[in-house]
Amino acid sequence: MKKSKTLFIVFCIIVSFLLTTTLLLSSCQRTKEQSRSTADRDKLKLERIYNETNGGTSAPITISGSGPSPTVSGTTNHSITTEQLNEEQMKEQLRKNILSDGVSFYDRKGAIEYAFDGTVTEDDILKFKAGKTGEISQETLDKISAAYGSGYGRNAGDASSDAYGGDMMGGFGGRGAARGGFGGMSVSRDLYNFSAPSQPLSFERQRRAANTFNVMPARPSSSQPVNIPDELLNISADEIWIIAKVDTSRPVVNDDTPGSGAMLAKLPKEEKEIPLPLKHTDVKGQICGYIATVEVTQQFHNPYSEKIEAVYVFPLPQNAAVNEFIMIVGDRKIRGIIRERQEAEQIYEQARNQGYTASLLTQERPNIFTQKVANIEPSKEIDVNIKYFNILAYVDGWYEFVFPMVVGPRYNPPGYTDGVGAVAHGRTGISGQKTEVQYLKPNERSGHDISLAVVIDAGVAIEELECPSHVITNSKASAEKRTVKLSSLDSIPNKDFVLRYKVAGKKVKSALVTHRDERGGFFSLMLYPPENLKSLKRAPMEMIFVLDCSGSMNGKPIEKAKDAITRALKQLQPNDTFQVIRFSNNASQLGPKPIPATAENIRKGLKYVEELQGNGGTQMIEGIKAALDFEHDAERFRLVSFMTDGYIGNESEILEAVHQRLGSSRIFSFGVGSSVNRYLLDRLAMLGKGAVAYIGLDESAGEIVDSFYERISHPALTDVTIDWGNMEVTDVYPATIPDLFVGRPIIITGRFNGDRNTRIRVAGKVGSDDQVFDIPVDLNDATAEHNGIACVWARKQIETLANRATYDSSSDLPGQIRTVALEYGLMSSYTAFIAVDSSRQTAGDHGVTVNVPVPVPYGVRYDTTVQE
Amino acid sequence: MKKHLVLLISVFVMVPVFAQQFGRQYDTEQPRVRFATLPVYIDSGNQHLAAYQFELKAVSGQIKIVGVEGGEHPAFVDAPYYDSAALANDRIIIAAFNTGQDLPTGQTRIATIHLQIVGDTEPKYQLELSVAGDENGREISAEITFEKEI
Repeated sequence: MKKSKTLFIVFCIIVSFLLTTTLLLSSCQRTKEQSRSTADRDKLKLERIYNETNGGTSAPITISGSGPSPTVSGTTNHSITTEQLNEEQMKEQLRKNILSDGVSFYDRKGAIEYAFDGTVTEDDILKFKAGKTGEISQETLDKISAAYGSGYGRNAGDASSDAYGGDMMGGFGGRGAARGGFGGMSVSRDLYNFSAPSQPLSFERQRRAANTFNVMPARPSSSQPVNIPDELLNISADEIWIIAKVDTSRPVVNDDTPGSGAMLAKLPKEEKEIPLPLKHTDVKGQICGYIATVEVTQQFHNPYSEKIEAVYVFPLPQNAAVNEFIMIVGDRKIRGIIRERQEAEQIYEQARNQGYTASLLTQERPNIFTQKVANIEPSKEIDVNIKYFNILAYVDGWYEFVFPMVVGPRYNPPGYTDGVGAVAHGRTGISGQKTEVQYLKPNERSGHDISLAVVIDAGVAIEELECPSHVITNSKASAEKRTVKLSSLDSIPNKDFVLRYKVAGKKVKSALVTHRDERGGFFSLMLYPPENLKSLKRAPMEMIFVLDCSGSMNGKPIEKAKDAITRALKQLQPNDTFQVIRFSNNASQLGPKPIPATAENIRKGLKYVEELQGNGGTQMIEGIKAALDFEHDAERFRLVSFMTDGYIGNESEILEAVHQRLGSSRIFSFGVGSSVNRYLLDRLAMLGKGAVAYIGLDESAGEIVDSFYERISHPALTDVTIDWGNMEVTDVYPATIPDLFVGRPIIITGRFNGDRNTRIRVAGKVGSDDQVFDIPVDLNDATAEHNGIACVWARKQIETLANRATYDSSSDLPGQIRTVALEYGLMSSYTAFIAVDSSRQTAGDHGVTVNVPVPVPYGVRYDTTVQE
Repeated sequence: MKKHLVLLISVFVMVPVFAQQFGRQYDTEQPRVRFATLPVYIDSGNQHLAAYQFELKAVSGQIKIVGVEGGEHPAFVDAPYYDSAALANDRIIIAAFNTGQDLPTGQTRIATIHLQIVGDTEPKYQLELSVAGDENGREISAEITFEKEI
């Protein structure tokens, strides 16, 4: 008795607990819903329904704003409307949706009435979907089959697996043969175009979805005449919910003349075709010594008849210290504020939802950024101005200024979601990656163009100047000063702008540049290798060539890379050994281990290289393993040359793998292409204690390989240490000075105290011999002052911490990066710039989000790199 | 037995009621967020204003600076600079200068601060002019004020 009493009490407590929890949850939900208006509740309901029918497999959407066209956020390319319509309006809306290949969802009662003229009941549909066709009349069965497709009348489990187990590539309202189905409910491949979840829904979910909605048939084909049955339009309901695909069809414009075309797109409710929101990018660079100060102005406008949010993913140099952000609204300039990324994103969302014009700049990779501009009103313009400093590369007496213009399409390994997806225009969300770049088809042109001007003040006479990437005009103000402008004939932003100039003498005027402010002194030193290295000969080498044979390298890039390897193979010396490794989805190699560089073996190597083709994914990790995971020949200096465009999204994984496996190898990375991932290639070389070189598609691979061989045909200065003399130096980056190769100075930045002239002493080893040389410095040289040095130093510190974070998760490196970035007002992965114009609230909701599509880089094939 | 039953029924009734109340309270505690501007003026009397630096912070209420805009006179129309390090301590230090000849005198709006205000508490601001200077680099006496958006 006592036992049963106790059991009863326990039972009651459990029931009470469950009841309490349920009530608590429903109470929270209800009070939330109660605080909203009727329209808001509709949106909330629609949100929930939409997300549910998506099977929870894609990112959920949110619907906000008011009026007949609430804005949808999230990964959908559907327009969603919630409207209270009268009968005539409803018929008209329905007709429009059917005519435009759209798909409409209605409430259950209405749907059944609309589709079946009231003769088919919900029960009939459920029986049909459950495969219980014997329980419904033939007439009903025929009607349902005609509307839902004959492939449905099986048991639910089959329907589910058949509908989803196969081809899930169908887009919502996609043209042509739609593939996939809606909750297993309607698989009429000719009539319906649905958003297919990427995984099967459970039957219960299907039932719920089916009970909530029904689906109206879309137009069979845009080219066929449409005959909408009258009964379909014979509708009566007081509410209609419509989910229709945004019509992304667009005419292809004449692109014969570069830059003259305009990308045309159409938004729902738009009657005319109009260009996209990023109109123009203006770049102004000022080079002083070896530091560039660059201002980038992006001009957004709204050519549509409703408000928009513009989203643009764009590149900047991988070492850019972005420290200024200004939003320009008409004549007014609002300086953006650096904040923790999450906080900035939250402020932006709140401003956007409340109708304020706002802009947000976030960093996805050190060389990939996302610009968002919210609440751009029709016909209005918003400019965004970004300023950064960066240090120029300096090789063999040539400075190199690079401005990247487009993000290359990245490959992300299966299962990886933190990458950068490359998708076709209008295909938001299909890559499953955190960041997505939308690409134009090869025969499409964006109205977006670019202007660029660079003023060079070298401090010493400029002897030669060249731009291998673009057509430029070049005016000479004096022997030391030049102004370079991008020709208007070459203003399509589809490749890196590369400007090189050679100065008189072998060294820069001021190797040491300083800056002092209330935070103390900052310096940047260009450290040259000793001159006598050139007279010494190198040790035997073990040369490992690693060639990226993925789809993005197909065509010109792989041919360039093969030219480079061919040239390099021919320059090997008899006591060297070599190996050639190729990778795409997997890796394979010339032989099981490096082979001696005999004439016969080199012929074999050349033949192997000649036969390589670009195809498949970019599993660079396989290339890394193949190149570094074998025993090192202690007699030889192992040098690994990566030839790649670096179009991968999992950079951190690759860098971590290199850090773990490097050993005594040195990595020389060769970027091949018109717009390569310089961040990855620079980091590979830095982690690999080697160097990087870039081979443009219109450049001679032979010359670049020759200069590379010139460099490695002499020994490097290793084990470098520096005595800073009277400079009290702290926080030096890089903390470990890398090897110094001929023609390859390195940049060292740090903080210092002191103001006396001093002598810096550099020591190192060449082979087993010690080398020492001195550099006199004048800490009071006013001409060697640059106010960007503090930012350059802070950026270098962030870079060093971020590099460490790729292989060290034990310390709070993100926290340290955040602190430095906030203190110096710099962009990083953990900080963002936000600017809100809080002086004026725009009317209505924030409108639709328009992603700015970009062209694939010059020489890169769209069909092998972009997901459609 | 009777006692236990009464106790259980009480639990059945009371707990959900408390839960509902708690739910309501939880839901209504979301802070309100709004945006506002704060125009800042300097009155330098009959002297030219060529440079200034001021500090702003909220002594009550919760604000976040979301933008800094320039002033009305052409000499200060560009967005002034702020000290990002100071921003981390819930205050903002703003400064600007102009070396040109066309400089304002009297009262002029030198900047507009764009704010996000969190919660219902009306913020109280503390505004302090650190320095104002003329075209010769001399410190001048000036008064700084702000206008609260209604």
